[in-house]
Amino acid sequence: MSKKRGLKFYLSIYRKILIQDLKSKMSYRADFVISTIGMIMTNLAGFITFIVLFHNFPTINGWDLNHMLFLYGFSLLALTPVQCFFDNNWNLRTHVYSGDFIKYCFRPVNIFFYFMSEVFDVKGLGQLAFGLGTLIYAWAKIGIPVTFLTVGQALVFTFTASLFMIAIMNVAAATCFWIQGSGYVMVIMFRFKDFARYPASIFNSVFKAIFTFIIPIAFVAYYPSLVFLQPDNVPVLTWLSPLIGLVFFFLSYAFWMLGVRKYDFTGS
Amino acid sequence: MTIRKYIALVRAGIMESLHFRLGTAVTLFANLIYLVLVYFLWKAVYASSGTDVVNGMTFTDTMIYLILATALFNFLEMFVVWDMSRSIQSGAIILDLLKPMKYRSYTFWKYSGSHVSQFILAFVPTFIVVMIVTKGAIPIGLNLVKFMVSVVLAQIVNFGIEMLVATLCLYTESTWGINIVKETIVLVLSGASIPLAFFPESIRNIISWMPFRAIYDIPLQVLLNKGGSDTLAGLAKLWGMQLGWCVILTVAGVIFWKISVRKITVNGG
Repeated sequence: MSKKRGLKFYLSIYRKILIQDLKSKMSYRADFVISTIGMIMTNLAGFITFIVLFHNFPTINGWDLNHMLFLYGFSLLALTPVQCFFDNNWNLRTHVYSGDFIKYCFRPVNIFFYFMSEVFDVKGLGQLAFGLGTLIYAWAKIGIPVTFLTVGQALVFTFTASLFMIAIMNVAAATCFWIQGSGYVMVIMFRFKDFARYPASIFNSVFKAIFTFIIPIAFVAYYPSLVFLQPDNVPVLTWLSPLIGLVFFFLSYAFWMLGVRKYDFTGS
Repeated sequence: MTIRKYIALVRAGIMESLHFRLGTAVTLFANLIYLVLVYFLWKAVYASSGTDVVNGMTFTDTMIYLILATALFNFLEMFVVWDMSRSIQSGAIILDLLKPMKYRSYTFWKYSGSHVSQFILAFVPTFIVVMIVTKGAIPIGLNLVKFMVSVVLAQIVNFGIEMLVATLCLYTESTWGINIVKETIVLVLSGASIPLAFFPESIRNIISWMPFRAIYDIPLQVLLNKGGSDTLAGLAKLWGMQLGWCVILTVAGVIFWKISVRKITVNGG
Protein backbone atom coordinates (compact mmCIF):
# COMPACT_ATOMS: atom_id res chain seq x y z
CA MET A 1 0.00 0.00 0.00
CA SER A 2 1.32 3.37 -0.95
CA LYS A 3 -0.58 5.63 1.40
CA LYS A 4 -1.98 5.13 4.87
CA ARG A 5 -5.68 5.80 4.90
CA GLY A 6 -7.84 6.56 7.89
CA LEU A 7 -10.64 4.54 9.40
CA LYS A 8 -13.13 6.99 7.96
CA PHE A 9 -12.04 6.21 4.43
CA TYR A 10 -12.45 2.48 4.99
CA LEU A 11 -15.84 2.88 6.65
CA SER A 12 -17.20 4.87 3.73
CA ILE A 13 -15.91 2.27 1.27
CA TYR A 14 -17.40 -0.53 3.34
CA ARG A 15 -20.77 1.21 3.31
CA LYS A 16 -20.73 1.52 -0.45
CA ILE A 17 -19.78 -2.10 -1.06
CA LEU A 18 -22.30 -3.30 1.52
CA ILE A 19 -25.15 -1.48 -0.21
CA GLN A 20 -24.24 -3.11 -3.53
CA ASP A 21 -24.13 -6.54 -1.91
CA LEU A 22 -27.50 -6.08 -0.22
CA LYS A 23 -29.05 -4.90 -3.46
CA SER A 24 -27.97 -8.04 -5.25
CA LYS A 25 -29.18 -10.18 -2.35
CA MET A 26 -32.60 -8.54 -2.47
CA SER A 27 -33.18 -10.03 -5.89
CA TYR A 28 -33.25 -13.48 -4.31
CA ARG A 29 -35.86 -12.82 -1.67
CA ALA A 30 -37.10 -16.42 -1.36
CA ASP A 31 -33.56 -17.58 -0.77
CA PHE A 32 -33.14 -15.01 1.97
CA VAL A 33 -36.33 -16.10 3.74
CA ILE A 34 -35.56 -19.82 3.53
CA SER A 35 -31.93 -19.35 4.62
CA THR A 36 -33.04 -17.30 7.60
CA ILE A 37 -35.53 -19.99 8.58
CA GLY A 38 -32.74 -22.56 8.23
CA MET A 39 -30.46 -20.53 10.48
CA ILE A 40 -33.16 -20.21 13.13
CA MET A 41 -33.87 -23.95 12.87
CA THR A 42 -30.24 -24.90 13.55
CA ASN A 43 -30.20 -22.66 16.59
CA LEU A 44 -33.51 -24.07 17.73
CA ALA A 45 -32.15 -27.60 17.34
CA GLY A 46 -29.17 -26.80 19.55
CA PHE A 47 -31.58 -25.30 22.03
CA ILE A 48 -33.83 -28.38 22.05
CA THR A 49 -30.81 -30.62 22.63
CA PHE A 50 -29.98 -28.52 25.68
CA ILE A 51 -33.49 -28.70 27.07
CA VAL A 52 -33.71 -32.46 26.56
CA LEU A 53 -30.34 -32.93 28.24
CA PHE A 54 -31.36 -30.90 31.27
CA HIS A 55 -34.69 -32.67 31.41
CA ASN A 56 -32.69 -35.75 32.44
CA PHE A 57 -29.76 -34.20 34.28
CA PRO A 58 -30.22 -31.12 36.47
CA THR A 59 -26.57 -30.04 36.31
CA ILE A 60 -23.54 -30.76 34.18
CA ASN A 61 -20.23 -30.43 35.93
CA GLY A 62 -21.75 -27.95 38.36
CA TRP A 63 -23.35 -25.88 35.59
CA ASP A 64 -27.12 -25.62 35.73
CA LEU A 65 -29.45 -24.87 32.84
CA ASN A 66 -29.34 -21.09 33.17
CA HIS A 67 -25.56 -20.95 33.29
CA MET A 68 -25.34 -23.21 30.25
CA LEU A 69 -27.87 -21.03 28.44
CA PHE A 70 -25.74 -18.01 29.25
CA LEU A 71 -22.76 -19.75 27.72
CA TYR A 72 -24.83 -20.77 24.72
CA GLY A 73 -26.20 -17.27 24.12
CA PHE A 74 -22.75 -15.76 24.59
CA SER A 75 -21.22 -18.15 22.06
CA LEU A 76 -23.93 -17.32 19.50
CA LEU A 77 -23.23 -13.61 19.90
CA ALA A 78 -19.48 -14.09 19.66
CA LEU A 79 -19.96 -16.18 16.52
CA THR A 80 -22.12 -13.58 14.78
CA PRO A 81 -19.31 -11.35 13.41
CA VAL A 82 -17.54 -14.24 11.71
CA GLN A 83 -20.85 -15.24 10.12
CA CYS A 84 -21.86 -11.73 9.05
CA PHE A 85 -18.64 -10.00 8.06
CA PHE A 86 -16.17 -12.75 7.21
CA ASP A 87 -18.37 -15.14 5.26
CA ASN A 88 -16.45 -14.50 2.06
CA ASN A 89 -13.66 -16.69 3.44
CA TRP A 90 -15.76 -19.61 2.20
CA ASN A 91 -15.35 -18.33 -1.37
CA LEU A 92 -11.62 -17.65 -1.16
CA ARG A 93 -10.75 -21.12 -2.42
CA THR A 94 -12.86 -20.75 -5.56
CA HIS A 95 -11.44 -17.32 -6.32
CA VAL A 96 -7.88 -18.52 -5.88
CA TYR A 97 -8.23 -21.64 -8.03
CA SER A 98 -10.11 -19.93 -10.80
CA GLY A 99 -7.65 -17.07 -10.88
CA ASP A 100 -10.32 -14.48 -10.15
CA PHE A 101 -8.46 -13.53 -7.03
CA ILE A 102 -6.06 -11.41 -9.03
CA LYS A 103 -8.67 -8.68 -9.30
CA TYR A 104 -8.36 -7.94 -5.60
CA CYS A 105 -4.64 -7.41 -5.93
CA PHE A 106 -5.16 -4.49 -8.30
CA ARG A 107 -7.37 -2.42 -5.99
CA PRO A 108 -5.73 0.48 -4.19
CA VAL A 109 -7.13 -0.65 -0.83
CA ASN A 110 -6.12 -3.30 1.67
CA ILE A 111 -6.73 -6.68 0.01
CA PHE A 112 -7.99 -8.41 3.13
CA PHE A 113 -10.40 -5.58 3.83
CA TYR A 114 -11.66 -5.40 0.28
CA PHE A 115 -12.15 -9.13 -0.03
CA MET A 116 -14.08 -9.45 3.23
CA SER A 117 -16.23 -6.39 2.61
CA GLU A 118 -17.62 -7.90 -0.55
CA VAL A 119 -20.03 -10.19 1.28
CA PHE A 120 -22.26 -9.41 4.20
CA ASP A 121 -24.16 -12.48 5.33
CA VAL A 122 -27.64 -11.36 6.32
CA LYS A 123 -28.70 -14.67 7.86
CA GLY A 124 -26.17 -14.10 10.62
CA LEU A 125 -28.62 -11.55 11.97
CA GLY A 126 -31.06 -14.34 12.85
CA GLN A 127 -28.33 -15.86 14.96
CA LEU A 128 -27.67 -12.49 16.56
CA ALA A 129 -31.30 -12.14 17.58
CA PHE A 130 -31.46 -15.68 18.91
CA GLY A 131 -28.22 -15.31 20.86
CA LEU A 132 -29.24 -11.98 22.30
CA GLY A 133 -32.60 -13.37 23.43
CA THR A 134 -30.98 -16.39 25.08
CA LEU A 135 -28.33 -14.27 26.77
CA ILE A 136 -30.82 -11.76 28.15
CA TYR A 137 -33.07 -14.55 29.42
CA ALA A 138 -30.19 -16.31 31.17
CA TRP A 139 -28.82 -12.99 32.45
CA ALA A 140 -32.15 -12.19 34.11
CA LYS A 141 -32.64 -15.72 35.50
CA ILE A 142 -29.20 -15.85 37.07
CA GLY A 143 -29.71 -12.33 38.43
CA ILE A 144 -26.54 -10.71 37.19
CA PRO A 145 -26.79 -7.00 38.10
CA VAL A 146 -27.31 -4.59 35.22
CA THR A 147 -24.80 -1.79 35.72
CA PHE A 148 -22.61 0.29 33.46
CA LEU A 149 -19.73 -1.96 34.39
CA THR A 150 -21.37 -5.31 33.56
CA VAL A 151 -22.95 -4.11 30.31
CA GLY A 152 -19.68 -2.50 29.28
CA GLN A 153 -17.82 -5.69 30.09
CA ALA A 154 -20.34 -7.70 28.10
CA LEU A 155 -19.79 -5.48 25.05
CA VAL A 156 -16.01 -5.59 25.28
CA PHE A 157 -15.82 -9.31 25.94
CA THR A 158 -18.25 -10.38 23.19
CA PHE A 159 -16.35 -8.20 20.76
CA THR A 160 -12.96 -9.62 21.65
CA ALA A 161 -14.33 -13.18 21.91
CA SER A 162 -15.53 -12.90 18.32
CA LEU A 163 -11.93 -12.36 17.20
CA PHE A 164 -11.00 -15.95 18.03
CA MET A 165 -13.41 -17.60 15.63
CA ILE A 166 -12.54 -15.04 12.95
CA ALA A 167 -8.88 -15.91 13.42
CA ILE A 168 -9.57 -19.65 13.15
CA MET A 169 -11.55 -19.21 9.96
CA ASN A 170 -8.98 -16.85 8.43
CA VAL A 171 -6.23 -19.39 8.91
CA ALA A 172 -8.44 -22.25 7.66
CA ALA A 173 -9.40 -20.30 4.54
CA ALA A 174 -5.84 -19.13 3.85
CA THR A 175 -4.58 -22.72 3.70
CA CYS A 176 -6.00 -22.78 0.16
CA PHE A 177 -3.02 -20.69 -0.96
CA TRP A 178 -0.81 -23.68 -0.21
CA ILE A 179 -2.85 -26.86 -0.47
CA GLN A 180 -5.44 -28.17 -2.86
CA GLY A 181 -8.86 -29.20 -1.66
CA SER A 182 -8.70 -27.12 1.47
CA GLY A 183 -12.46 -27.07 1.74
CA TYR A 184 -12.28 -29.86 4.29
CA VAL A 185 -10.08 -27.76 6.56
CA MET A 186 -12.74 -25.08 6.69
CA VAL A 187 -15.58 -27.51 7.28
CA ILE A 188 -13.76 -29.13 10.19
CA MET A 189 -12.75 -25.85 11.74
CA PHE A 190 -16.28 -24.58 11.41
CA ARG A 191 -17.54 -27.64 13.24
CA PHE A 192 -15.35 -26.70 16.19
CA LYS A 193 -17.58 -23.75 16.89
CA ASP A 194 -20.10 -26.18 18.38
CA PHE A 195 -17.55 -27.03 21.05
CA ALA A 196 -17.61 -23.43 22.18
CA ARG A 197 -20.96 -23.70 23.90
CA TYR A 198 -19.79 -26.19 26.53
CA PRO A 199 -17.75 -25.29 29.60
CA ALA A 200 -14.10 -26.10 28.91
CA SER A 201 -13.90 -27.47 32.45
CA ILE A 202 -15.39 -30.76 31.22
CA PHE A 203 -12.20 -31.58 29.31
CA ASN A 204 -9.12 -33.16 30.80
CA SER A 205 -5.99 -31.02 30.96
CA VAL A 206 -4.56 -32.11 27.61
CA PHE A 207 -7.66 -31.28 25.61
CA LYS A 208 -8.29 -28.17 27.65
CA ALA A 209 -4.83 -26.93 26.65
CA ILE A 210 -5.47 -27.82 22.99
CA PHE A 211 -8.78 -25.99 22.92
CA THR A 212 -7.28 -22.99 24.71
CA PHE A 213 -4.01 -22.35 22.91
CA ILE A 214 -3.99 -24.29 19.65
CA ILE A 215 -7.60 -24.14 18.51
CA PRO A 216 -8.75 -21.38 20.86
CA ILE A 217 -12.45 -22.18 21.04
CA ALA A 218 -12.47 -22.09 24.85
CA PHE A 219 -12.03 -18.32 24.47
CA VAL A 220 -15.17 -17.96 22.36
CA ALA A 221 -17.53 -18.29 25.31
CA TYR A 222 -16.12 -20.13 28.31
CA TYR A 223 -13.35 -17.82 29.51
CA PRO A 224 -15.11 -14.51 28.87
CA SER A 225 -18.35 -15.77 30.45
CA LEU A 226 -16.58 -16.44 33.73
CA VAL A 227 -16.50 -12.68 34.31
CA PHE A 228 -20.27 -12.82 34.79
CA LEU A 229 -20.79 -16.35 36.06
CA GLN A 230 -17.99 -16.56 38.64
CA PRO A 231 -17.24 -12.91 39.46
CA ASP A 232 -15.35 -13.87 42.63
CA ASN A 233 -13.06 -16.30 40.96
CA VAL A 234 -12.05 -15.05 37.54
CA PRO A 235 -9.00 -16.75 36.03
CA VAL A 236 -6.15 -14.64 34.68
CA LEU A 237 -6.76 -16.00 31.17
CA THR A 238 -10.16 -14.31 31.19
CA TRP A 239 -8.70 -10.88 31.81
CA LEU A 240 -6.02 -11.52 29.23
CA SER A 241 -8.50 -12.82 26.64
CA PRO A 242 -9.07 -9.45 24.87
CA LEU A 243 -5.34 -9.12 24.37
CA ILE A 244 -4.94 -12.73 23.28
CA GLY A 245 -7.84 -12.23 20.88
CA LEU A 246 -6.09 -9.31 19.23
CA VAL A 247 -2.88 -11.33 18.96
CA PHE A 248 -4.70 -14.30 17.39
CA PHE A 249 -6.51 -12.02 14.98
CA PHE A 250 -3.33 -10.25 13.97
CA LEU A 251 -1.48 -13.54 13.46
CA SER A 252 -4.28 -14.92 11.29
CA TYR A 253 -4.29 -11.70 9.27
CA ALA A 254 -0.55 -11.96 8.77
CA PHE A 255 -0.92 -15.57 7.67
CA TRP A 256 -3.69 -14.63 5.24
CA MET A 257 -1.61 -11.83 3.75
CA LEU A 258 1.38 -14.14 3.49
CA GLY A 259 -0.78 -16.37 1.33
CA VAL A 260 -1.71 -13.41 -0.83
CA ARG A 261 1.93 -12.52 -1.31
CA LYS A 262 2.69 -16.09 -2.30
CA TYR A 263 -0.18 -15.93 -4.79
CA ASP A 264 1.28 -12.73 -6.24
CA PHE A 265 4.63 -14.34 -6.76
CA THR A 266 3.29 -17.30 -8.70
CA GLY A 267 1.72 -14.73 -10.96
CA SER A 268 -0.94 -17.14 -12.04
CA MET B 1 -30.21 -57.31 -18.10
CA THR B 2 -31.69 -54.95 -15.55
CA ILE B 3 -29.52 -56.34 -12.79
CA ARG B 4 -26.42 -55.70 -14.86
CA LYS B 5 -27.09 -52.03 -15.31
CA TYR B 6 -27.66 -51.61 -11.58
CA ILE B 7 -24.41 -53.36 -10.80
CA ALA B 8 -22.61 -51.11 -13.28
CA LEU B 9 -23.98 -48.04 -11.50
CA VAL B 10 -23.04 -49.37 -8.07
CA ARG B 11 -19.54 -50.03 -9.37
CA ALA B 12 -19.25 -46.53 -10.78
CA GLY B 13 -20.37 -45.13 -7.44
CA ILE B 14 -17.72 -47.17 -5.61
CA MET B 15 -14.98 -45.99 -7.96
CA GLU B 16 -16.08 -42.40 -7.70
CA SER B 17 -16.07 -42.37 -3.92
CA LEU B 18 -12.71 -44.14 -3.73
CA HIS B 19 -11.30 -41.31 -5.76
CA PHE B 20 -11.81 -38.98 -2.79
CA ARG B 21 -9.77 -40.94 -0.28
CA LEU B 22 -8.31 -37.80 1.26
CA GLY B 23 -11.82 -36.63 1.99
CA THR B 24 -12.60 -39.89 3.77
CA ALA B 25 -9.42 -39.67 5.82
CA VAL B 26 -10.13 -36.10 6.85
CA THR B 27 -13.71 -37.02 7.73
CA LEU B 28 -12.45 -39.82 9.95
CA PHE B 29 -10.04 -37.46 11.69
CA ALA B 30 -12.75 -34.86 12.19
CA ASN B 31 -15.03 -37.51 13.65
CA LEU B 32 -12.36 -38.55 16.08
CA ILE B 33 -12.06 -35.04 17.45
CA TYR B 34 -15.82 -34.67 17.45
CA LEU B 35 -16.13 -37.89 19.45
CA VAL B 36 -13.65 -36.52 21.99
CA LEU B 37 -16.13 -33.75 22.72
CA VAL B 38 -19.05 -36.18 22.87
CA TYR B 39 -17.07 -38.40 25.24
CA PHE B 40 -16.15 -35.61 27.66
CA LEU B 41 -19.59 -34.08 27.56
CA TRP B 42 -21.42 -37.29 28.40
CA LYS B 43 -18.83 -38.26 30.95
CA ALA B 44 -19.51 -34.99 32.72
CA VAL B 45 -23.23 -35.54 32.33
CA TYR B 46 -23.16 -39.00 33.88
CA ALA B 47 -20.72 -37.93 36.59
CA SER B 48 -23.13 -35.19 37.66
CA SER B 49 -26.22 -37.37 37.61
CA GLY B 50 -25.09 -39.63 40.43
CA THR B 51 -26.64 -42.77 38.92
CA ASP B 52 -25.18 -45.19 36.42
CA VAL B 53 -28.34 -45.84 34.45
CA VAL B 54 -30.45 -43.06 33.03
CA ASN B 55 -33.58 -43.95 31.05
CA GLY B 56 -32.30 -47.50 30.70
CA MET B 57 -29.02 -46.32 29.15
CA THR B 58 -25.64 -46.66 30.82
CA PHE B 59 -22.74 -44.38 29.92
CA THR B 60 -21.32 -47.13 27.71
CA ASP B 61 -24.68 -47.63 25.99
CA THR B 62 -24.95 -43.91 25.30
CA MET B 63 -21.43 -43.73 23.92
CA ILE B 64 -21.94 -46.74 21.65
CA TYR B 65 -25.24 -45.30 20.47
CA LEU B 66 -23.82 -41.86 19.71
CA ILE B 67 -20.57 -43.06 18.13
CA LEU B 68 -22.32 -45.51 15.86
CA ALA B 69 -24.98 -42.91 15.06
CA THR B 70 -22.19 -40.59 13.88
CA ALA B 71 -20.63 -43.42 11.87
CA LEU B 72 -24.01 -44.26 10.33
CA PHE B 73 -24.55 -40.59 9.60
CA ASN B 74 -21.28 -40.40 7.67
CA PHE B 75 -22.00 -43.48 5.73
CA LEU B 76 -25.59 -42.60 4.89
CA GLU B 77 -24.80 -38.98 4.11
CA MET B 78 -26.08 -37.99 0.69
CA PHE B 79 -25.72 -34.85 -1.32
CA VAL B 80 -28.72 -35.39 -3.54
CA VAL B 81 -30.02 -31.92 -2.70
CA TRP B 82 -26.72 -30.25 -3.64
CA ASP B 83 -26.19 -32.44 -6.70
CA MET B 84 -29.63 -31.78 -8.01
CA SER B 85 -29.58 -28.03 -7.52
CA ARG B 86 -26.15 -27.84 -9.11
CA SER B 87 -27.22 -29.81 -12.14
CA ILE B 88 -30.36 -27.70 -12.44
CA GLN B 89 -28.26 -24.54 -12.42
CA SER B 90 -25.77 -25.88 -14.93
CA GLY B 91 -28.41 -27.56 -17.05
CA ALA B 92 -26.74 -30.95 -16.76
CA ILE B 93 -29.94 -32.38 -15.31
CA ILE B 94 -31.32 -32.60 -18.85
CA LEU B 95 -28.72 -35.25 -19.64
CA ASP B 96 -29.76 -37.27 -16.60
CA LEU B 97 -33.42 -36.97 -17.52
CA LEU B 98 -32.72 -38.21 -21.02
CA LYS B 99 -31.00 -41.35 -19.79
CA PRO B 100 -32.91 -44.57 -20.53
CA MET B 101 -33.51 -45.02 -16.83
CA LYS B 102 -35.67 -43.28 -14.27
CA TYR B 103 -33.80 -40.40 -12.63
CA ARG B 104 -34.80 -41.70 -9.24
CA SER B 105 -33.39 -45.18 -9.61
CA TYR B 106 -30.33 -43.84 -11.41
CA THR B 107 -29.51 -41.65 -8.40
CA PHE B 108 -30.33 -44.40 -5.94
CA TRP B 109 -28.04 -47.00 -7.47
CA LYS B 110 -25.24 -44.54 -8.02
CA TYR B 111 -25.35 -43.62 -4.35
CA SER B 112 -25.57 -47.26 -3.31
CA GLY B 113 -22.07 -47.70 -4.66
CA SER B 114 -20.65 -44.97 -2.49
CA HIS B 115 -22.61 -46.36 0.47
CA VAL B 116 -20.96 -49.74 0.02
CA SER B 117 -17.46 -48.30 0.01
CA GLN B 118 -18.22 -45.91 2.87
CA PHE B 119 -19.64 -48.77 4.88
CA ILE B 120 -16.47 -50.77 4.50
CA LEU B 121 -14.02 -47.89 4.82
CA ALA B 122 -15.66 -45.87 7.58
CA PHE B 123 -18.34 -47.79 9.40
CA VAL B 124 -16.71 -51.20 9.81
CA PRO B 125 -13.42 -49.81 11.27
CA THR B 126 -15.37 -47.60 13.66
CA PHE B 127 -17.51 -50.53 14.69
CA ILE B 128 -14.49 -52.74 15.36
CA VAL B 129 -12.78 -50.03 17.42
CA VAL B 130 -15.93 -49.51 19.48
CA MET B 131 -16.27 -53.25 19.95
CA ILE B 132 -12.70 -53.60 21.22
CA VAL B 133 -12.78 -50.51 23.43
CA THR B 134 -16.07 -51.42 25.11
CA LYS B 135 -14.98 -55.04 25.54
CA GLY B 136 -18.09 -56.90 24.54
CA ALA B 137 -20.76 -54.35 25.35
CA ILE B 138 -22.12 -54.93 21.86
CA PRO B 139 -23.75 -58.35 21.67
CA ILE B 140 -22.44 -60.44 18.79
CA GLY B 141 -24.83 -62.84 17.14
CA LEU B 142 -27.95 -62.84 15.07
CA ASN B 143 -28.43 -59.15 15.87
CA LEU B 144 -25.65 -58.27 13.38
CA VAL B 145 -27.65 -59.83 10.55
CA LYS B 146 -30.82 -58.09 11.71
CA PHE B 147 -28.85 -54.85 11.91
CA MET B 148 -27.74 -55.18 8.28
CA VAL B 149 -31.35 -55.61 7.15
CA SER B 150 -32.29 -52.58 9.21
CA VAL B 151 -29.49 -50.51 7.70
CA VAL B 152 -30.61 -51.29 4.18
CA LEU B 153 -34.15 -50.23 5.07
CA ALA B 154 -32.73 -47.11 6.76
CA GLN B 155 -30.87 -46.26 3.59
CA ILE B 156 -34.08 -46.44 1.56
CA VAL B 157 -35.93 -44.24 4.06
CA ASN B 158 -33.07 -41.74 4.04
CA PHE B 159 -33.04 -41.69 0.27
CA GLY B 160 -36.81 -41.14 0.25
CA ILE B 161 -36.47 -38.07 2.44
CA GLU B 162 -33.53 -36.79 0.39
CA MET B 163 -35.44 -37.10 -2.87
CA LEU B 164 -38.55 -35.41 -1.49
CA VAL B 165 -36.46 -32.48 -0.27
CA ALA B 166 -34.33 -32.35 -3.41
CA THR B 167 -37.46 -32.11 -5.54
CA LEU B 168 -38.20 -28.86 -3.73
CA CYS B 169 -35.11 -27.47 -5.46
CA LEU B 170 -37.09 -27.46 -8.69
CA TYR B 171 -39.20 -24.69 -7.16
CA THR B 172 -36.60 -22.58 -5.39
CA GLU B 173 -32.89 -21.98 -5.72
CA SER B 174 -32.31 -21.77 -2.00
CA THR B 175 -30.24 -24.93 -1.70
CA TRP B 176 -28.35 -23.96 1.43
CA GLY B 177 -31.54 -23.07 3.28
CA ILE B 178 -33.49 -26.17 2.27
CA ASN B 179 -30.61 -28.46 3.02
CA ILE B 180 -29.89 -27.03 6.46
CA VAL B 181 -33.56 -27.29 7.45
CA LYS B 182 -33.67 -30.95 6.38
CA GLU B 183 -30.39 -31.78 8.08
CA THR B 184 -31.41 -30.18 11.36
CA ILE B 185 -34.77 -31.90 11.50
CA VAL B 186 -33.30 -35.29 10.65
CA LEU B 187 -30.45 -35.01 13.16
CA VAL B 188 -32.63 -34.02 16.10
CA LEU B 189 -35.61 -36.28 15.48
CA SER B 190 -33.68 -39.38 14.43
CA GLY B 191 -31.66 -39.69 17.60
CA ALA B 192 -28.34 -38.85 15.95
CA SER B 193 -27.52 -35.90 18.22
CA ILE B 194 -29.15 -37.14 21.43
CA PRO B 195 -30.50 -40.66 22.01
CA LEU B 196 -34.27 -40.74 21.65
CA ALA B 197 -34.52 -42.51 25.01
CA PHE B 198 -33.71 -39.19 26.69
CA PHE B 199 -36.67 -37.31 25.26
CA PRO B 200 -39.68 -36.79 27.55
CA GLU B 201 -42.29 -39.52 27.23
CA SER B 202 -44.97 -37.50 25.43
CA ILE B 203 -42.60 -36.10 22.81
CA ARG B 204 -41.00 -39.49 22.32
CA ASN B 205 -44.40 -40.96 21.49
CA ILE B 206 -44.86 -38.45 18.69
CA ILE B 207 -41.30 -38.84 17.39
CA SER B 208 -41.57 -42.61 17.33
CA TRP B 209 -44.22 -42.37 14.62
CA MET B 210 -42.09 -40.16 12.38
CA PRO B 211 -39.89 -41.52 9.60
CA PHE B 212 -36.66 -40.02 10.96
CA ARG B 213 -36.40 -42.61 13.68
CA ALA B 214 -36.18 -45.31 11.03
CA ILE B 215 -32.81 -43.96 9.89
CA TYR B 216 -30.65 -44.07 13.02
CA ASP B 217 -32.63 -45.07 16.06
CA ILE B 218 -34.15 -48.35 14.83
CA PRO B 219 -30.93 -49.86 13.37
CA LEU B 220 -29.05 -48.99 16.56
CA GLN B 221 -31.78 -50.42 18.79
CA VAL B 222 -31.65 -53.60 16.76
CA LEU B 223 -27.87 -53.74 17.02
CA LEU B 224 -27.91 -53.30 20.79
CA ASN B 225 -30.78 -55.79 21.23
CA LYS B 226 -32.96 -53.06 22.74
CA GLY B 227 -36.41 -51.67 22.10
CA GLY B 228 -37.95 -55.15 22.01
CA SER B 229 -35.90 -56.19 18.98
CA ASP B 230 -34.84 -59.43 20.67
CA THR B 231 -38.34 -60.83 20.35
CA LEU B 232 -39.95 -61.75 17.06
CA ALA B 233 -42.98 -59.54 17.60
CA GLY B 234 -40.85 -56.56 18.59
CA LEU B 235 -38.57 -57.01 15.62
CA ALA B 236 -41.54 -57.31 13.28
CA LYS B 237 -42.89 -54.04 14.64
CA LEU B 238 -39.59 -52.18 14.09
CA TRP B 239 -39.04 -53.59 10.63
CA GLY B 240 -42.68 -53.07 9.73
CA MET B 241 -42.32 -49.45 10.64
CA GLN B 242 -39.21 -49.03 8.49
CA LEU B 243 -40.81 -50.87 5.61
CA GLY B 244 -43.98 -48.78 5.91
CA TRP B 245 -41.99 -45.56 5.65
CA CYS B 246 -40.00 -46.95 2.71
CA VAL B 247 -43.24 -47.46 0.82
CA ILE B 248 -44.89 -44.17 1.84
CA LEU B 249 -41.82 -42.05 1.09
CA THR B 250 -41.13 -43.77 -2.21
CA VAL B 251 -44.69 -43.39 -3.45
CA ALA B 252 -44.89 -39.77 -2.27
CA GLY B 253 -41.49 -39.02 -3.79
CA VAL B 254 -42.37 -40.51 -7.17
CA ILE B 255 -45.67 -38.60 -7.36
CA PHE B 256 -44.11 -35.32 -6.22
CA TRP B 257 -41.30 -35.71 -8.75
CA LYS B 258 -43.74 -36.44 -11.58
CA ILE B 259 -45.69 -33.29 -10.83
CA SER B 260 -42.62 -31.13 -10.33
CA VAL B 261 -40.39 -32.21 -13.17
CA ARG B 262 -42.50 -30.22 -15.61
CA LYS B 263 -41.50 -27.14 -13.66
CA ILE B 264 -37.81 -27.41 -14.49
CA THR B 265 -36.42 -24.21 -15.86
CA VAL B 266 -32.89 -24.41 -17.08
CA ASN B 267 -31.05 -21.27 -18.00
CA GLY B 268 -30.52 -21.15 -21.73
CA GLY B 269 -32.15 -24.51 -22.14
